Amino acid sequence: MEELLGYLHVVVLPQVVDALIIGVALALVALGLTMIFGLLDVINLAHGDLYMLGGYAAFTLLGWGAGYWSALVLVPILVGIVGWGLEELGIRPLLPRADRAIVTLLLTFGVSLILRDVAQVVWGTETYAVAAPFTGIASFADVFVPTYRIFVFGVGVAAIFATWWLLYRTRIGAVLRATAVDPPMVASFGIPIRWVYGFTFLYGCGLAGLAGVLLGPIYAVFPTMGHDFLVMAFAVVIVGGMGSVIGAVVAALLLAQVQGLASLWIPPVWAETLVYGVMLLVLVARPAGLFNRLGEA
Amino acid sequence: MLQPSPPRAGQAPPPKDAARPTVGERLVRILYPSHSSATPLRWLALAMLALAVVFPLLGGPFYTRLAIESFLLGAVALSVDILLGYAGLLSLGQAAYFGLAAYVSALMYLHVTQSFWLVALTAVAVVAVFSLVLGAVAIRAKGVYFALITFGAAEILSKIAHNTRAIGGSDGLIGIPVPSIPLLPGVAIDLHNNVAFYYAVLCVLVLIYLGTRRILDTGFGAVLRAIRDNSDRVPYLGYNAFWYKLFAYIMAAQVAAFGGLIYPLLRGFVAPHLFGFEVSTKAVVMSLVGGVGTLLGPLAGSVIVTFLESLVGSYTERHLLVLGVIFIVFVLFLPDGLIGLARRLTAARGKAGP
Repeated sequence: MEELLGYLHVVVLPQVVDALIIGVALALVALGLTMIFGLLDVINLAHGDLYMLGGYAAFTLLGWGAGYWSALVLVPILVGIVGWGLEELGIRPLLPRADRAIVTLLLTFGVSLILRDVAQVVWGTETYAVAAPFTGIASFADVFVPTYRIFVFGVGVAAIFATWWLLYRTRIGAVLRATAVDPPMVASFGIPIRWVYGFTFLYGCGLAGLAGVLLGPIYAVFPTMGHDFLVMAFAVVIVGGMGSVIGAVVAALLLAQVQGLASLWIPPVWAETLVYGVMLLVLVARPAGLFNRLGEA
Repeated sequence: MLQPSPPRAGQAPPPKDAARPTVGERLVRILYPSHSSATPLRWLALAMLALAVVFPLLGGPFYTRLAIESFLLGAVALSVDILLGYAGLLSLGQAAYFGLAAYVSALMYLHVTQSFWLVALTAVAVVAVFSLVLGAVAIRAKGVYFALITFGAAEILSKIAHNTRAIGGSDGLIGIPVPSIPLLPGVAIDLHNNVAFYYAVLCVLVLIYLGTRRILDTGFGAVLRAIRDNSDRVPYLGYNAFWYKLFAYIMAAQVAAFGGLIYPLLRGFVAPHLFGFEVSTKAVVMSLVGGVGTLLGPLAGSVIVTFLESLVGSYTERHLLVLGVIFIVFVLFLPDGLIGLARRLTAARGKAGP
């Protein structure tokens, strides 16, 4: 019994804490994906590459001598603007088409390829380390966690709550949720739908950029980082329910734990496969995911 | 939003006691072509075939082998078109079957047997089982979910291949022997001979194309197109959409597997990237460039894209960028591809002419 408690404390607990932090960051990426799908029926395959762009932008800004804090504020705005440009130039012309779900998917896929290659042209194929703003290690009950990770957790949770507050406690949120259900009705109230869509992309992609800045110092930045993260983020969105905000958060925390704990006992690559297996099971049992779509709750 | 309203519960179900067609009648209906719209395409197909037949006489060994590769990728593009153009299913993971067949073929040659037919049979069986299982899961998920599941499945296979030491890990498998393929007693195809290799692959590809065209020209293809156009109404006509989609999926997997089966013999190696998004993406780009829903378009598209890539590749390594730009241009401006463009041009000329 003592042995088991010790094992749980020394081996399992740190892994749980680590997975919790990753889960929060994953939730930021998944939130943007799920909001964009909930409002526009668009699956943004370039989302992972916007996350990558966030990491690289932070690296470059820090290299130019900017402080970490200004990068933390500036990068999400920059990445958000890139996302907004994508919506304005690429997605909007396709929205009236009947097969918009498929054509926008293809378009964002093309954008994703371009972003990844542009990143290689600009930054090369090396892996860069982003300097963390502080490097202490905190300990609670003999579990050691780098202070920076606690900071990431705090910012992530704050951003998630801010998103919840925005969506469910403000007028903008009411408009967004209404647009997810019935865009023509919202338009008939005199609200310009194109701005609503533009804002959704700006905000959702901004969150991906934020995740890029936050995780940069933990994982370093490299050209395929977004691609690797995207498959995981989609698993999250599918399990949580496409278009569900609460679902994205719950599923991100859940799947990060599944992956984190599983990699204690099986090789990490199989842990990833296990996450995918969980996703398939959810799809078979509850094709619409665990939670309702935005606006339908 | 855009989704059609689900069928109301109060509506009468399709009458059960209405005269059901017998098995024989169904078989006849399935085998009988329901439409023949292919006359303008036929000339294009013949022109392409003529070009393909004379090609090895003009190009050197490098271009002959490049053309073989474009045929193999063309099979994957064709499989994308079967799904997207006929069943309305966008698969972003057809590379799964390309890679699976390539690995099965490579492993069999290296460790089990040198008999091409035995290897082919095994690859067909493995791909059939895998596509049956994955298809049954993926097809239950509608629309965009299907694209995501197929995308993810191929990614996972690629990761497994990348991380499993026993099948070569990230290096893949090299040194795959090139067998000669016995056709009849005393007649064999020697794959060391590029020209023979070329014509053999061309022959099989033409057979696959004609076979696919034949199958999709029947009642089966008509039901698939009906599912693509309105999947909610099809069940009311007495068709179970699931089985039709599943059959199309399995068929497409086999078509893509043909490319994978031959690929190791052409290049002498397999690597995890064969499963990866790059092959899947290329296949979708190729169908888009040629024209989705034409079956011929993806084959033309694969030749164009492969040669274009080789051309661009001699100047820069940024071929993903090129693929991405082609992707966007065709999605935004030429949604029906080159064949669609040609059709519109000829239609416009027909109107403008005297």
